[in-house]
Amino acid sequence: MDKPSAPLAQSLEGTVRTPAHFTPDQLENYGRIFQWTPRFVVYPGSQRDIVTLVALCRKNKWSLSTRGAAHSQSQLAINQDGVLLEMQAMNRIGEVDEDKLTVDVEPGVVWRDLVHHLAPRNLVPPVLTNNLGVTVGGTLSMAGIGVASFRYGSQGDNVVELDVVTGDGSVVTCSPETNDDLFWGAIAGLGSFCVITRARLQLRRMKPMTRTYYLLYDDLRVFLEDARSAMDSGRWDHLESWGAPCAQGTRPVAGMRQVFAKWFYPFHLTVEYDAGNPPDDAALLAGLRPYDNLYTDDCPTLEFLERMVPIFDLWKKAGTWEFMHPWIECILPWETAADCIEQVLGDTPPGIQVGGHVLLWPAKGTTSRSKNFMVPPGENLVGFGLLPAIPQKFWGEMSERLENVSRMMLMFGGKRYLSGWVNFTPDEWKEHFGARWDELCALKRRYDPDAILNPGFLPFEAKP
Amino acid sequence: MTLVFGTEAWAAALVAEINASSEYRNAAAKWGDGFNGNVLLVFDADTTFPKTHALLVLLAKGACRGASFVPGVAHPGAGFGLRAPFSVWKDVLSRKMLAATAILTGKMKVDGDRMTLLKHTAAHRALVACVAALDTEFLSP
Repeated sequence: MDKPSAPLAQSLEGTVRTPAHFTPDQLENYGRIFQWTPRFVVYPGSQRDIVTLVALCRKNKWSLSTRGAAHSQSQLAINQDGVLLEMQAMNRIGEVDEDKLTVDVEPGVVWRDLVHHLAPRNLVPPVLTNNLGVTVGGTLSMAGIGVASFRYGSQGDNVVELDVVTGDGSVVTCSPETNDDLFWGAIAGLGSFCVITRARLQLRRMKPMTRTYYLLYDDLRVFLEDARSAMDSGRWDHLESWGAPCAQGTRPVAGMRQVFAKWFYPFHLTVEYDAGNPPDDAALLAGLRPYDNLYTDDCPTLEFLERMVPIFDLWKKAGTWEFMHPWIECILPWETAADCIEQVLGDTPPGIQVGGHVLLWPAKGTTSRSKNFMVPPGENLVGFGLLPAIPQKFWGEMSERLENVSRMMLMFGGKRYLSGWVNFTPDEWKEHFGARWDELCALKRRYDPDAILNPGFLPFEAKP
Repeated sequence: MTLVFGTEAWAAALVAEINASSEYRNAAAKWGDGFNGNVLLVFDADTTFPKTHALLVLLAKGACRGASFVPGVAHPGAGFGLRAPFSVWKDVLSRKMLAATAILTGKMKVDGDRMTLLKHTAAHRALVACVAALDTEFLSP
C-alpha cells in the first residue's frame, strides 16, 4: 500500500481504495480498449474532498481522473498511476426551483434518477441521452446529445451554472455570464480544466403522454429530406432514426466474400400530449414520404424516455455488453451526409446489429452555443454513428477498418463526437478543434497548470 | 500462371481479371459514368523495386477497355491517379494494408477529384483486388 493512503483516507470525507480492492471494471471503460491501473480510487464525499485531492496530486505529481458511468470509450474515465475519482459517490439531487425551472445536482447523479425525481412535477431536462444510465457530470463534460437536441442543443447548452474545482485547486462558480471562459471550458471540455461539483440544470415542463410514429424508409435521400422537413415543421418533440440492415447473402469485398445488406432507415417521430387530447395523426404526418408506416405507439412520457432499456438489457443478457465498443460517431455536413453514409454502410456488415446499432440523427447546427462541441458549419447537419460490439479476438482485424470509417467521415467534412473511440494524431486533434485548440491550450495553462486532470486523451503538452 | 510485372502480358491479364470480376462490375457500375474514369496507377521506385512504373487503366461503367504501361508519372488520358512507393503497393497487394488505409492516410497519393474517389470507394477497392489477384513476379530490371 502506498504510504500516503492512510493520511489520505483520514483527510477525506469520502473513502479510498487501494489496488487490492479495485474492481475489474475500474481499470477500463465501456470501450474496453484500454486497461489502466490507478494508484488510488477515491469516492469523494464533498467538494472539499476534491480540493484536498487536487492539492495532493499536485504535490505528488499524480494525475487525477474523473469517472462517472464510464461510458466513454477512449482514454477517459480511467487512470494510470494516479487517482481515479468515482464521481457517482457525489449523487445528491438538490432543490428544484419550479418558478425558474431549474434543479441543482451533484455531478454523479445518474440522469435516470433525476428524471424519476422530477417526473411527479411533470418536469424534465430538455435533452436526455438515449442511455439514461450515465451521469450528469459525464455527459456535460462530453456535450450530451439526444433525440431532442435538434430543438434544444446539447445537455451542456441547458446548464445555468456550475461549481467547479480547477486544476490549481480553486473553487469557482461559473455560468455563461460569469467566469464564462471556465464555464465553456467545462462544458464539453472532457474534464480538462476542472472537476464539476455542482450543476444547476435548466428544466422544461413535459406532457404526460407521448405518441410515436414508426416510419420506415428504403431511400436514404428521401429519409434525409423528410428528416429536415420534420425538424423545420415545429411539430415534433423528439426525432430518432437508425440504419437497419436486411442481410442479402454474401458478395466479394476485396476478393473475399462477406455478408452484405440492403439498408433501411427507421424514423421514429414523437410528440408529447395530454391524456384525453391526442394528436392529429394526419396533420402531423402530412408531407412525409415513408416507404411504410409501421406502427403508432402511445406510452407515458417517462416510459418513452426509458425506451432503450429493453435493448440494453438484451445486450447484457447476450453478453455483448462485455465486448469491446469502439463506437465511431460523427456529425456530418448536410451536403455530404448521404454520400458518406452510403459509402460507409455499403461496407458495414449486418452483424453490427449484434450488440450494437447504426445511429442517424437529424441535427441543427444553430442550437448549440458550446465552444468545445465541434460541429461542421451549416444550419442542417446529420449525426451518424457506427456503434459496434466487437469480441476481443476480432479487434486486430476490425480496428483498421473502423479507423478508416473515422478517416472517411473526416474527409466528408464530419466532426467526431468524442465519447466514442477516437484515435487522432496530434495534428488531427488540432484540425478537430480548429481555432479553438489554441484557446483550449491557454485554458489548460491557466486552470490546470500542472496538467493533472484527465491526461491521456487530448494531447496537451505535459508539464516539463 | 506467374506474370512478370511491367510487361504487356501482365497488363493484358489485368484487363481480363477486371472484366471477369463480378465485384468490380457491380462496385464500379457508376465509375466513369459522366466523367473520365481512366486511372493511372503509379508505382514509385524505392528500395524494394528500383524502377518507377505507371500503368494506365481505361475504366468506365464497370468494365475495362484496356491497360498499358506508359512512360512518365502523368498521362493526359487519365482522369485519376493513385501513386505510391512500391513498398506501399506491395503491402496493399499482399493485404498487409487495406487500400483504403493507404489512400485515407496519404500513403497513397490521389490525383483527381478526391470527393469523386470517396464516393466510389468500393470501385477502387475492387480494382486493387483485381491487381492483387494476379500471380505477379517483380523482377528487377
